[in-house]
Amino acid sequence: MFEAWLGRMGAPVALLGVVGLIAFFAFPYDLGFLTRILIMMIFVLSIDLVLGYGGIATLGQAAMYGTGAYAAGLFAVHISANPLLGLLIGAGAGAGVAFLSGLIVLRAHGLGLLMLTIAVAQILHEIANKARVVTGGADGLSGIRMAPLFGRWHFDFIGQTGYLYALAVLVLVMVFLRALCVAPLGLTARGIHESPVRMAAIGVPVYGRRVLIYTIAGGLAGLAGALSAQVTALVSLQVFSFSLSAEAVVMLILGGTGRLWGAIFGTAIFMVIHHLAATADPYNWLFVIGILLLGVVYFIPGGLMGVRQRLRILFGGQG
Amino acid sequence: MIRPKLFMALLAGVVLLASGAVAPAGADVIKVGVIAPFSGPFAIWGKQFQDGITVYQAQHGTQVDGQTVEFLYRDSGGPNPDVAKSLAQELLVRERVDYLGGFVFTPNALAVAPLIDQSQTPTVIFNAATSAINARSPFFLRTGFTLWQVSVPMAQWAYDQGLRAVATSVSDYGPGLDAEAAFASAFQARGGVVVDAIRMPLSSTDFAPFMQRIKASGADAVFGFLPAGPPTYAFTKAYNDAGLRAAGIGFLGTGETDETTLDALGDAALGLNTAYHYSAAHPSSVNKAFINALALHDPRAVANMASVGAYDGAHLIYEMVAAAKRDGPGAVAAAKGLAWESPRGPVLIDPETRHITQNVYIRVVDKDATGRLFNREFATIEAQPDHGWNR
Repeated sequence: MFEAWLGRMGAPVALLGVVGLIAFFAFPYDLGFLTRILIMMIFVLSIDLVLGYGGIATLGQAAMYGTGAYAAGLFAVHISANPLLGLLIGAGAGAGVAFLSGLIVLRAHGLGLLMLTIAVAQILHEIANKARVVTGGADGLSGIRMAPLFGRWHFDFIGQTGYLYALAVLVLVMVFLRALCVAPLGLTARGIHESPVRMAAIGVPVYGRRVLIYTIAGGLAGLAGALSAQVTALVSLQVFSFSLSAEAVVMLILGGTGRLWGAIFGTAIFMVIHHLAATADPYNWLFVIGILLLGVVYFIPGGLMGVRQRLRILFGGQG
Repeated sequence: MIRPKLFMALLAGVVLLASGAVAPAGADVIKVGVIAPFSGPFAIWGKQFQDGITVYQAQHGTQVDGQTVEFLYRDSGGPNPDVAKSLAQELLVRERVDYLGGFVFTPNALAVAPLIDQSQTPTVIFNAATSAINARSPFFLRTGFTLWQVSVPMAQWAYDQGLRAVATSVSDYGPGLDAEAAFASAFQARGGVVVDAIRMPLSSTDFAPFMQRIKASGADAVFGFLPAGPPTYAFTKAYNDAGLRAAGIGFLGTGETDETTLDALGDAALGLNTAYHYSAAHPSSVNKAFINALALHDPRAVANMASVGAYDGAHLIYEMVAAAKRDGPGAVAAAKGLAWESPRGPVLIDPETRHITQNVYIRVVDKDATGRLFNREFATIEAQPDHGWNR
């Protein structure tokens, strides 16, 4: 029983790790870019948990990402340069902000909720801007020097350590999320997504569960922010920006909401196409992204993860 | 559940695409990576940079001592330090560039400091204007300006004109606060009084209340700093509408009347005083040649501080290539103390700060014979260093 579960859970995630390692050896010159993809994947996964599983409409997940980034950055500058401790601090800070803001914003629904999530990120953005002495304001928080990972691997120039570090964190996050999704909490979240009224009727504390999901996702977003701060060694106000939240939601929709692999694929495809188009034509690449998104939303509304299903329907099989 | 094989094939395909074709670096090609915004709201910067570099190459050829100099452009969008850093990594590791250039935003420049330290890559900043940047790496050089560099002469000139009470009114973000601090320190050092220091939220669109406050403060003039673009239009319009001009309260600025925004400002800008390091109307043969070459390259192109920053950046890189080829530390050493005649006037790379020492001109917005607005330089404050270096 347990072994079967492990096989079902573990195999695809192990594959993710293997593909990540292949990419490591296949593209030794693009590790900086690939690391950004991995970090963004964790961030998009956190949005998937909130939006896709919990059904909580959000355009302000950057609030937690940014908090995690600043927390990890400040921790590295002032207290300890240990990367793993920094990650924990970042995740904890993200979860803390998500919990506190979640208590308030999750009282609202629909557009009101959407507005409140944006508002939280904006408020934090302004705080970070004003607290120039602490955060460096618009110049960014600099002076982050990470200690070697496990006291052995330095964060090197080419980005090898940073890449493997981010890959390991992503794989762990994926294992955690796959377990969470089949655990009672994950199933409850799905139920609340489908019908909050019915879930309340069968005795589920809907509000409490939503806050819990929001907090867990906030922790993951904080983790992604902390990784970004450690790998980039600089935190800018951009971590709280609306465009970061919005772009991540676009990636999720591209891949398919409510599926973990949707977040992985959507992020990879969006960022790779973005990168290639922006390199080929620095001026007009946004057209390519726009057309891609239009195409996906019109022809495969379930996102790229829905392609197989659509094809099956198209060719006369059952969906 | 997706099949593992399919998943593997898809991801492998995606990553394969990402790598693109690895261009072989010829032995006699020296590559320069330019990181700047080419898309989004700041895309104009990338265009101006590229124009400046293209014009320089059109005038001076693409060869330096038998070495071809090739520029590669990468889009950083807005202030995205993580993007800027990974672009720099890609340029340094994969494209094997020997020089970096560009940079509009301070965080983007700061993010690459550890990289260029390790790779010993001379990096020429065309714009990012915080004084602290050059202190972060000995491989940073700058051909732009700093807010201290232009605000201090502005304050000194204002005092010399007999102004004793000035209100400062700046956008509430990093560069605005720098401008405020620079102006206030220089003005007070001479004996002037800053009667009010107003910090306007960056998203302000209605400036009438600030204008009333300035009027009520009893100031002889207002020193303003806002990011170029719509806020500047609204600010100058409010300055006229609220009757500050009519009341004889002077306007002191820096880059507000930049050539790219001047036409949009319209006649409301006439008579505004600014202190800046470059005007497209600078009367010199070098500038004329630059303007003509730019018009030849693209008739709609505008010469401004960004295009001239990139033009001089390209010159500095050519000089470094001529002196030291691929030797980074040697190139920086050769650049120190280098002096030349730029379209903006005589310039010099300060050996200590690696920042450009240049004339700052006091200008007034005027109309030329054809009715177009331009910045007429009428006073020159010579050889200004980066006054913010030791702050």
